[in-house]
Amino acid sequence: MSVPLGYYLILGGVLFAIGLCGALTRKNAIAVLMSIEIMFNAAILNFVVFWYYLHNGALTGQMFALFAIAVAAAESAVGLALVISVYRHYKSVDVNEMRSLKG
Amino acid sequence: MSVAYAPIVRALGSETALVLVALAVLTLDFIIGRKREVAKRRELVGAVALFGLALSAVPLVGQVGMTNVLLPGETLVVNPLVIIFKFVLIVLTAVTVLISIDHDIGTHVGEYFAMLLFGAIGMLLLVGTEEFLTIFVALELTSISLYVLTAFHKNSLRSQEAALKYFLFGAIATAFLLFGLSYIYGLTGATNLRDIGAALAKKGTDPLLGVGLLCVLVGLGFKVAMVPFHLWAPDAYEGAPTPVTAFIATGSKVASFFVLVKVLMVAFAGAVGSAYWGAFESGWAMVLGLTATASMVLGNCAAIVQRNVKRLLAYSSIAHAGYILVGLVAASSTGATAVLFYVIVYAITNLGAFGVVAALASRAGGDDLEHFNGMAKRAPFLSLLMLVFVLSLAGIPPLGGFFGKFYLFAAAVECDAEMFGLLWLVALGIVMSAVSLYYYLVLMKHMYVLPAKDETRIATPGHLKMALAFCAAGVVLLGVFPEPILALLKALVVRL
Repeated sequence: MSVPLGYYLILGGVLFAIGLCGALTRKNAIAVLMSIEIMFNAAILNFVVFWYYLHNGALTGQMFALFAIAVAAAESAVGLALVISVYRHYKSVDVNEMRSLKG
Repeated sequence: MSVAYAPIVRALGSETALVLVALAVLTLDFIIGRKREVAKRRELVGAVALFGLALSAVPLVGQVGMTNVLLPGETLVVNPLVIIFKFVLIVLTAVTVLISIDHDIGTHVGEYFAMLLFGAIGMLLLVGTEEFLTIFVALELTSISLYVLTAFHKNSLRSQEAALKYFLFGAIATAFLLFGLSYIYGLTGATNLRDIGAALAKKGTDPLLGVGLLCVLVGLGFKVAMVPFHLWAPDAYEGAPTPVTAFIATGSKVASFFVLVKVLMVAFAGAVGSAYWGAFESGWAMVLGLTATASMVLGNCAAIVQRNVKRLLAYSSIAHAGYILVGLVAASSTGATAVLFYVIVYAITNLGAFGVVAALASRAGGDDLEHFNGMAKRAPFLSLLMLVFVLSLAGIPPLGGFFGKFYLFAAAVECDAEMFGLLWLVALGIVMSAVSLYYYLVLMKHMYVLPAKDETRIATPGHLKMALAFCAAGVVLLGVFPEPILALLKALVVRL
């Protein structure tokens, strides 16, 4: 066990920050979706690492990670479906062009 | 580890019934629906969904005696408070179904009602758990169903755009929630609220805990639409089919506030902090004090300039999230009681208001303020009901909204008996309630004073009128006799 826990936590934090930056700045809806996936994966990495280093007596962390993976998959499936149905109307997936709702 | 399955089956009776009915609704529409007219299909499938909801309330009666935790780790909890809220959620869903039967929801009738029921199942599970993994999964079940429901007007660009915005904001909030939960799990090794509370009490504060708590607040704050995580709400409320708007604004908020109260009061009781004037201390009370301020100010001020009724009600609901947070900032059992009472009143009122909008807007040609001109002559009964709902939202006695707000503010004042540290928040709340009266009365002016272009009467079906009258009766009753339910909630919250 040569890599200390802190390194993984920093990796998780950096991944989450990268994902958040992408989600907030990208214009393409698909790219936003991908950035959100990176944020999810940062959290999942944290769960697995915390489980492995600190709480490996019970399977809680692993279970949480598995459920999170399943939920993230379901969520991106719905997300992609929504992107497609928006594309049918706008012929574009640029989130900045979606301005029919304002006020 | 041995688990007794019989009580678990009993405790999950409502959810099981709803899953079966949702699948039955899908199958039914698939087999016999396709050849009929859409309006007939809505009636048929809606009736089955209603029957299912009635059926799912039956197991709740059998659970009244059960007060124990049913699965190790509080994954599944049954107590009187949970039963009350499950019942409220079932009633809210049933009224939503009644509103939907009358509303144009496109040709995918079976899918619509099934999604509605899946969303309701998520809310029931959310209320009936004290463990973060289940909270997370239930929250996602609710959210994903609502994303799909928001996009149900397939030919409407606004509906699709609203759904995508709702989804993108929602997914980011979920990522925050999960990230926060990972830190909390790492610090405590537990995922159930009580163990987390106990572990944190031993450990004291930790910077990682601060990050985790803040991330969880972002995730849940998005669900209750508090500023600054409210950006999705006006768009989603406006673009979604109106019955779905009603469901997002009521059912999902009731469940989310219930969970928020439980999470903060049980798991993070040790990280309260303080929002007392001049004695700010970092913790969730301070964060919520600031977001409550922002929600009340922004929600009410932005509502003034709205021309679309659904958007106006969306900003009003952001403002109401602010009022409710004031009760939470008090961080006392009186505060929690007031929050839970107000959430129920708010949900019934808003469901009624959106129900009236759903019924009238589709027949008047749109949901802008102008479309409601002279509505008092065109649909006198529904206009009267709208008057009741709007006055309750504005907080006029003797309606439920007044007493709800009164208890919220009273709880905030009395939590610091010597210094009245939260008086600033209460004063702001009262001022903002006065501001809110303006835009509620503008809506009333359009309905009661301004003349309509087209004076033809608007006919609405009887079941819809009955459902909305039921909501109005609830609002009046909760205003005139708040004591029984308040006393009940108070007695139950102490054991939270």
